[in-house]
Amino acid sequence: MLTAFTRAFKTPDLRKKLLFTLAILALFRLGSHVPTPGISYTLVQQCQAVAGQTNGVLGLANLFSGGALLQLSIFALGVMPYITASIIVQLLTVVIPKFEELKKEGQAGQTKMTQYTRYLTIGLSLLQSSTLITFARNPSSLFGGSCQTIMPDDSIKVVLIMVLTMTAGSGLIMWMGELITDKGIGNGMSLLIFIAIAARFPESLWAIKDQGWDKFILVIIVGLVIIALVVFVEECTRRVPVQYAKRMVGRRMYGGTSTYIPLKLNMANVIPIIFASSMLALPTLVAQFNRPANGVNTPGWVNWIDTYLARGDHPIYMVIYFVLILFFTFFYVSITFQPTEVADNMKKYGGFIPGIRAGRPTAEYLDYVLTRITVPGAIYLAVISMIPLIAFVLLKADQNFPFGGASVIIIVGVGLQTVKQIESQLQQHHYEGFLR
Amino acid sequence: MTAVKTGLEVLLIVGGIFLTLLILMHKGKGGGLSDMFGGGVTSNLGGSSIAERNLDRFTVAVAIIWFAAIVGIGLINRFGL
Repeated sequence: MLTAFTRAFKTPDLRKKLLFTLAILALFRLGSHVPTPGISYTLVQQCQAVAGQTNGVLGLANLFSGGALLQLSIFALGVMPYITASIIVQLLTVVIPKFEELKKEGQAGQTKMTQYTRYLTIGLSLLQSSTLITFARNPSSLFGGSCQTIMPDDSIKVVLIMVLTMTAGSGLIMWMGELITDKGIGNGMSLLIFIAIAARFPESLWAIKDQGWDKFILVIIVGLVIIALVVFVEECTRRVPVQYAKRMVGRRMYGGTSTYIPLKLNMANVIPIIFASSMLALPTLVAQFNRPANGVNTPGWVNWIDTYLARGDHPIYMVIYFVLILFFTFFYVSITFQPTEVADNMKKYGGFIPGIRAGRPTAEYLDYVLTRITVPGAIYLAVISMIPLIAFVLLKADQNFPFGGASVIIIVGVGLQTVKQIESQLQQHHYEGFLR
Repeated sequence: MTAVKTGLEVLLIVGGIFLTLLILMHKGKGGGLSDMFGGGVTSNLGGSSIAERNLDRFTVAVAIIWFAAIVGIGLINRFGL
């Protein structure tokens, strides 16, 4: 394992890529700590010290930004606008026929869609930074009641400069991610998310230590078991065998090979968790805006949302979360994997699943297998995402509990992906890799 | 010192706008959502063109100016120069 690392660094080509990636990641972390002009760093630190648990509205966004969001740094928005934009574009491919055409075009269409995603990212960052700064002008909603102000001067000029800076910042993050994808190793965007989440690990773990060493050690052991489990499930695939017919084109023989379609157990990955938490954050957000000034009675439904949906430790919240994740897993898998399309493609190139006729029966078979596989996949996803909520109740940990939910799946998924890519690069140089 | 601060703020605004535009001028790399969360190993073949490389240089330069302006304003605010 370690020798493989040294070998990776001895290969000049790979060393350059690894160092480039590390440099960009270091810049990303540096930027996460630089406060936006107009924000007083000292006041933010004071407010963070008195703030209790993290706000449910910002939970996932803060997780993805690596704590930069609550520091209101220039990279406060992190990769969140890009993720949101990608989700929107992906969903639009189902709705808008023009996008569907682009998707079918292959590489050229994909490039065009990426371009749309980038424009949308900038638009969304404008929106999200304005929202964040609206919160920052009245910071008690971010940090709790005792925090009076974090902006010494909140005139319209300062606010505009802040919006512009944060937008440019998230644009820069997008470009840094693309640079890593292009010139470094691994997928840039996911590595940036990975780093943002991993940067919070030591802090959250250390917070658990305050409740006693026995709990700390227990959490570490449970965490290792969870990671092993996640690695195991992430690597689970059902291989549907496909046989290609031999055919002659001119003097050359094509096909005749047998391959397989890999159907992952957890094909949707963390996306259902992202969907479900953003959906659950919506009512809280609406309630926030409908809370009347002091002295007036709050409407009944706002109170209801505050008791049941605002915090993760209530059973009703957990049940809704669980059901939403199950639903979104099936929803997302049905969007990304279309059995009819796969079956048509196979038919076009003379492929078939042994024992099943090409065309519609194949599509039906794939659909059947996929649905069966997704059932345990969805339950696994829902259970994993429950872990932070349960830890929240048992250990009084904060929402960024390190082992569970979206964070552990992202960490494991990105880690595996990156190591696999280094592995394949090493093999090009005939060296032994990390995975044996 | 107010003059310097105003100058830095102008630099920040212009730099921010230029940076965003320059970044949007790049050709997008990477594909879609499922690619992002461990969808599979993507191959990135083909180098970048001369135009793209010049664009890279411009973007880096503007980014450095932009960042310097932020740090400058931060220092002025912090120490009240």
